[in-house]
Amino acid sequence: MKQKTHTGKEVDRGSFIKTIRRIWRYLSEYKVFLTWVLLMVVMSSALGLLGPFMIGRTIDTYLATATTDGLALVLVGLAAVYFFHSISLWLQNYWMIGIAQETVFTIRTQLFTKLHKLPIQFFDKRQSGELMSRITNDIENVSTTLNSSVIQVFSSLLTLVGTLVVMLWLSPLLTLVTMTIVPIMFLGMKWITTRTGRLYKEQQKNLGELNGFIEESISGQKIIKSFSQEPKVIAEFLEKSEKVKKAGYWAQVYAGFIPKLMNMLNNLSFTFVAAAGGIFALNGMVSIGTIVIFTEYARQFTRPLNDLSNQFNTLLSAVAGAERVFDIIDDREEAENEIDAIDITDLKGKVEFRDVNFAYDRGEDIVQNISFQATPGEKVALVGPTGAGKSTIINLITRFYEPNSGVILFDNQDSQIITRASLRKQMAFVLQDSFLFQGTIRENIRYGRLDASDQEVEEAAIAANAYSFIKRMPQGFDTELKQDGSGVSQGQKQLLSIARAILANPSILILDEATSSIDTITELKIQEALELLMEGRTSFIIAHRLNTIQQADQILVVEDGGIIEKGPHHELMKRKGFYYDLYQNQIKTKVAKAL
Amino acid sequence: MKKVLSLLKPYRLPMAIAIVLMLIELAVELWQPLLMAQIIDQGIAANDLHTVIKYGGIMLGISLLAFIAGITNSFFAAYASQNFGYDLRKNLYEKVQSFSFANFNKFPTSSLITRMTNDVNQLQMTLFMSLRIALRAPLLVIGGIVMALSVNFKLALGFVLVIPPLFVFLFWIMRRSTKLFKLVQGKLDQVNSVMRENLSGIRLIRAFSRGSHESQRFKRSNQELMDRTVFALRITETAIPVLLFFLNITVLVVLWFGNLDINNGTVSVGEVVAVVNYTARITTAFSMFSWIIMVYSRAIASTGRIEEVLDSEADLYGGLNKLEMVNQQGGRIEFEHVSFRYPDTKADVLSDIHFRIESGETVAVLGATGSGKSSLFQLIPRLYDTTEGTVKIDGVDVRTLEFDHLRKQIGYVPQEALLFTGSIKDNLAWGKEDASLEEMIQATEDAQIHKTITKLPEQYDTMIGQKGVNLSGGQKQRLSIARALIKKPRILLLDDSTSALDLKTEAKLLDALKQYQCTTLIITQKISTAKEADQILILEDGKMIAAGDHHYLMDKSKLYQDIYRSQQSLIVND
Repeated sequence: MKQKTHTGKEVDRGSFIKTIRRIWRYLSEYKVFLTWVLLMVVMSSALGLLGPFMIGRTIDTYLATATTDGLALVLVGLAAVYFFHSISLWLQNYWMIGIAQETVFTIRTQLFTKLHKLPIQFFDKRQSGELMSRITNDIENVSTTLNSSVIQVFSSLLTLVGTLVVMLWLSPLLTLVTMTIVPIMFLGMKWITTRTGRLYKEQQKNLGELNGFIEESISGQKIIKSFSQEPKVIAEFLEKSEKVKKAGYWAQVYAGFIPKLMNMLNNLSFTFVAAAGGIFALNGMVSIGTIVIFTEYARQFTRPLNDLSNQFNTLLSAVAGAERVFDIIDDREEAENEIDAIDITDLKGKVEFRDVNFAYDRGEDIVQNISFQATPGEKVALVGPTGAGKSTIINLITRFYEPNSGVILFDNQDSQIITRASLRKQMAFVLQDSFLFQGTIRENIRYGRLDASDQEVEEAAIAANAYSFIKRMPQGFDTELKQDGSGVSQGQKQLLSIARAILANPSILILDEATSSIDTITELKIQEALELLMEGRTSFIIAHRLNTIQQADQILVVEDGGIIEKGPHHELMKRKGFYYDLYQNQIKTKVAKAL
Repeated sequence: MKKVLSLLKPYRLPMAIAIVLMLIELAVELWQPLLMAQIIDQGIAANDLHTVIKYGGIMLGISLLAFIAGITNSFFAAYASQNFGYDLRKNLYEKVQSFSFANFNKFPTSSLITRMTNDVNQLQMTLFMSLRIALRAPLLVIGGIVMALSVNFKLALGFVLVIPPLFVFLFWIMRRSTKLFKLVQGKLDQVNSVMRENLSGIRLIRAFSRGSHESQRFKRSNQELMDRTVFALRITETAIPVLLFFLNITVLVVLWFGNLDINNGTVSVGEVVAVVNYTARITTAFSMFSWIIMVYSRAIASTGRIEEVLDSEADLYGGLNKLEMVNQQGGRIEFEHVSFRYPDTKADVLSDIHFRIESGETVAVLGATGSGKSSLFQLIPRLYDTTEGTVKIDGVDVRTLEFDHLRKQIGYVPQEALLFTGSIKDNLAWGKEDASLEEMIQATEDAQIHKTITKLPEQYDTMIGQKGVNLSGGQKQRLSIARALIKKPRILLLDDSTSALDLKTEAKLLDALKQYQCTTLIITQKISTAKEADQILILEDGKMIAAGDHHYLMDKSKLYQDIYRSQQSLIVND
């Protein structure tokens, strides 16, 4: 799926056809079933015509002549025709629903799977609610359309062709007259659909933004409430909702024009045919009987056209939804692993940065000229003011970001030739926000290693010092965590995420301010556990506690995106530089306050 | 149903106009076949071109009328339905904003979102279609029945009798599919919820390389959604073939008895043909019902989901009183034998908490993780109500205070720094809407974030992402402190809000806070911070086990001594 990224402004028509083709490609996965659907449509249309025809004949031969012999048999035959008519209708719907929903399922799954291949920056810039709207509201549009449109289009085309053939056979001249409305119809349709197409897109976009806003404002309830900002968010909501309304209003108005226009043209063509037929009849060019039958067909001719134009409109709304979904499916993925990238299974844990630079979006470099080396089992502490670039360095080690220049080596191998997934399998993380999933505590710890046994999960919990509080919970390890996380404190969340990291048993460990909101008594115990965990593993720690820093084998002092000092504690102290100041300052405040 | 339907009221007029216009269209439509017959019989068949042109002209005239009526109908129908949708969203959103956290626990966020967008859309579409075509089917059926009965009562009776059971059948299908579509929407919630969880936990999922695991999980929810949808749709789509079959069989019955009657001489062939024709017309009208059933079942299901939200009573109401603002000093806070448990849980998080904080005091709250510190904080701005006991500010029970008024006095900085999409300015304005740039700078300087902001590309106008992702954890914390400071609150609640700051910055920040004349509560783990406070409260397992200043606690509290020693060993290890 290595397609070019969307440039946004393409010729509408081209992208429309492209999107339709693409949806068709999904559908054509089900060729066999589609063929069956088509057959059933042919069958139901044929039987649908055969029924009335047979009734007409029955009236002529039996009722008009008042005979009864054999009528029962004919009626039984008719009953059979209608029975199969219903069966074929039912089957075409039955299969089509299956095909349509399978397709929707596939698109949804693709969209979701794709999300996990997109670079992290993608998510930094988008609202989750907006993305969620694509998986619900946009795909919903596709789903509604697929359910009905395919069958409708099939049967309309079928009727159209059928009627056209009969009309030509009856009178090519009158057919030509009927056709005079076709250009007007096309112009009208074009006028309408260029508008609806644009409006549908706008509507879906606005709906997405509204969705984003709802998501964010519900997640931020605590802040909204404690700042009494309900009126403000309501006002903002209404503004966004108004936009949805506006685009929706015009889309519906224009879409509503279509059947009316067709009806009007229908009558116009009927009058034309009648008038022209009258003239032709006067000249003896056609018989009156032909005209009578022909008008009947002319009426039938516009019906499928009407249906088709309506379908075209729903198609537009589906395309508006689908395009937003395909936009994401086509978005540039997290830089692909190099083609010759290999899986690593056994990492010793040597990490090296050589002149690494990184910037978001071609902006100013966030980190510059980062070079350091960590030998297996080493404890590396990153210190420096907040915002200096510590988290970015961590993001580079985990390969959430790829450097703009410079090389990162693991066990002396260029990171570019190692697959991301296999590398991350060798790492474990305790990140700044301890994110927990909805589910039981056990499931959350097991996230570190999916095949861990219950006993291993419990051992990890013991090692992380989480066991006692878990045991105190009403259902112990099987306690369900709620979406708002109530019932578990922030500190407990951290303990759980430490347990998760312990279970993962990594060769590289990353701790990002993990221990900062745990009370000191617990922290002492945690530190023991971490000491144990760090034993024999390369660890990168962003911590503010001095003793963690002091005990590190190497300290990287980061300021303004660069490493300004590095080395063990005593060496840095000797240097009397930035670190020395920092340390002095902290000790001074600590000691002063302790006294 | 009631609440949702009552929202239609303001649009009675446009709806009525739309319906009248639809009826005009329908009348024209019914008239047209007669005109066509006249054109054919009197014009073409009689070879009279004038009649053709005359009636043709009339027909074009009335179809122009229908065209205009139809187009105008679009405007009114779209107006009514879009506004209805807008009002629904508005009511839902306002309701949700009045929710307490107990209410929120009943509705997962993802489900609230689907209800506000997807479900509202279903209803909006249904109204639009109703105003345009839905009345048509029943009217055509009724018209057909009346006409058929007037032609030959006895013959027509047969098929008229078939119609009520068919309606019962339709009704039954509709009830079933309503239930099924409700399940479909529920599954959609689930899909949405997995999606939401994945989006917020994306870093962790990446970090543990669990993308494919999550995809499997999503696939399961997605599969369930698909199965439910397919099932529901298939059930509703069964209606039409069954209906058609029975109606067609009725035609055959009419033919059979018609034939007998013709033989008896009680009926003419023309009458039989006419009844058969009307039956055929009714049959066509009935096929529209399949679509109507589906749309309405979905709409009823969605209505139910919307009403669930509208009907849930917010269980926290603000009082009517305001605090007296005599002294500009910070407020006095009293907890009187307060116990608290989260809604729908069994165990108390706080039990019998009793203390008093004088106006302007700084109080540190210490305790192990999970001891109830954050829960205690949330009771002060009344994010939750106490289960027992009273929280008072300046001697007034918080439950009797206006929400707005109460919360305006309080600057609350929660543990997780949460910022909103928008510029830094926008985020600061949450604290005070009309804050001047000077005020903002004052607050950001005190929160030790001003310098960082000036280094950003657009300074105070810099946009920050959904969760302020472009900023580091510490920066977010300081910005959310600034947001609280700009309020000039009488009570400042800092819930471990300095945890991501380095000690130097933290010290400066705490220093700057001293100029604010407010009662300050700080949740902290650090003795160094606690020592500075006028009072220290120590919580353990939801109970307040000790209170007093540093010296008192060093003397009296075993736990405090332990904490102190543990930190001493952490700070000065060697």
